[in-house]
Amino acid sequence: MADVAFLAEFVDGAPSRSALELAAGAAELAAAGGGVAVGLAYGPGAGEGAGALGAAGAGRAVVLGSDAAPAVTVAGPLVASVREAAPQAVLAPATPNGRDLAAILVGSLGAAAFGPIRAVRMEGGQIRCEMSTLQGSVITVSEPTSEAPATAVILVSAGTYAPREGGSGSAAVSAAPTEDSPQSSVRVVETQAETAAIAALEEADVIVAGGRGVGGEAGFAELEKLAAALGGVVGASRAAADAGWVPYQLQIGQTGKVVKPALYMAVGISGAIQHRVGMQAAEHVVAINRDPDAPIGEFADLFVVGDLFEIVPRLTAQIEQRRGA
Amino acid sequence: MKIAVCVKQVPATTAEKRYTPDLRLDRTATEAIVNPLDEYAIEQALRLKEAGQADEIVFLSMGPEGAAEAVRRALAMGGDAGVLVTDPALAGADEWVTAKVLAAALDKLAPEVSLMGMASDDARGSLVPGAVAAVRGLPLLAYGSELRLTDGAAQVRRLNPTGFDILEAPLPVVASVTDQVGEPRYASLKGIMAARRMELTTWSLADLGLEAAALTARSRMVEARPPATKPPAERITGVGADEAATRITDWLASRKLIA
Repeated sequence: MADVAFLAEFVDGAPSRSALELAAGAAELAAAGGGVAVGLAYGPGAGEGAGALGAAGAGRAVVLGSDAAPAVTVAGPLVASVREAAPQAVLAPATPNGRDLAAILVGSLGAAAFGPIRAVRMEGGQIRCEMSTLQGSVITVSEPTSEAPATAVILVSAGTYAPREGGSGSAAVSAAPTEDSPQSSVRVVETQAETAAIAALEEADVIVAGGRGVGGEAGFAELEKLAAALGGVVGASRAAADAGWVPYQLQIGQTGKVVKPALYMAVGISGAIQHRVGMQAAEHVVAINRDPDAPIGEFADLFVVGDLFEIVPRLTAQIEQRRGA
Repeated sequence: MKIAVCVKQVPATTAEKRYTPDLRLDRTATEAIVNPLDEYAIEQALRLKEAGQADEIVFLSMGPEGAAEAVRRALAMGGDAGVLVTDPALAGADEWVTAKVLAAALDKLAPEVSLMGMASDDARGSLVPGAVAAVRGLPLLAYGSELRLTDGAAQVRRLNPTGFDILEAPLPVVASVTDQVGEPRYASLKGIMAARRMELTTWSLADLGLEAAALTARSRMVEARPPATKPPAERITGVGADEAATRITDWLASRKLIA
């Protein structure tokens, strides 16, 4: 029997999208080994909400903490829970919070670490992780060695698994064993609000992303209209975030978010390798760029060479018209 | 106040990479650079020294003997000393082995802040800073868009869904910073010349009191292959904006991307 655990971050009393995705993934992997998915719940509302992870795929749930404290502060109960339950793997979201906790597990348990993964398989009871490395130039497959402890730690990018729909049932909930950790001393001393709530890029089916070529806030206003017509949200390259045209929460790429939408429109984005690693998993890529030699052309499905300021408003109008028809 | 900055030597971002027959990255075949994201950690440390908040900056790298070059490139930007941990037994090190070795070296250097870049170019786990913190039993302050030092504590400014949190922990800490700390400086010719003459400290596993037999990798690669090649993009070029908009709309509709 091999259980598969997953980090379940709660935000404002509800499981985050990543928790729902990982619950589905953990349930799938656990079923292959005759075990159950175990939710490791933390964040505001985790205590009351952990049972609901059952509908998402969890067989049981362990509450690590329910405070609004930084995620890393649940390191003590996390390590103790994983040591006690000894699941075959812990799936962690490839977000800053998820990586903090995954890293603590790796250092504390001497665990094998993988990811962010493209796919994970159970082959004869052995975990095999497929990853895209070296900025997407190589696909590698790795597995734990015989020296590795029972539990492997696996980072999972957003969109790798789809949340279960219409699930029901409640997970059996228990409290995590307490354990001291130096991470308990990390605290938030100040919060600086900069923007209104932003639609989560990781959850979007359609992303209209703008780069340096968009030229400024006025250009991004046009992208907002296009995104609205397509039922999507706006994202940005690092250049656009650095220029201050959009908040850093919208940045896609190696040092921003990694996204996997059905449609990714890259507008005025040259397509540096650092941007590519953030969006290469998109199903369809449409690029609009004035430079016929822009690298984005190498990994787009449709490459439109032209003036984005001329094309984008017309495209928005045509899409609105067609949707209205 | 001492800051130790970890730097990793990686293949140049745009270089062609290949694996050896035993599935290790062939680090001799490609031009090597300092991991670009580590340069932001170097920059952050140097800024803190210039602001009078730190008085000693030490660069630490783990890698083959050639990784001394990465330490020298860091020293060319500034800083006071460089350390290279190199040992034939470290080839094929994974996250955990790397964390154990860096942790032992950092324990020996005993800085108030052990600083790293947010990720390395040649792997994307971003797990080493947190694993080092866990091995050393120190608080982790990761993904700072800025590192600040106050009396007895360190702070990082970290992105949250609607702005930033200031996270704080008592010294000593392990921290990592993002590419939002500010553009890394270029090394001056004078800096490059001075770095070339500096004596680096070199430690083996034995110097750190570590045994190779206790440091076996927890994961191994069993396959490496090129990704499936994408067919070349369909191109729309040399047409007016109205025509381009129509053809994009048709393309999206044909793929059921317009609801």
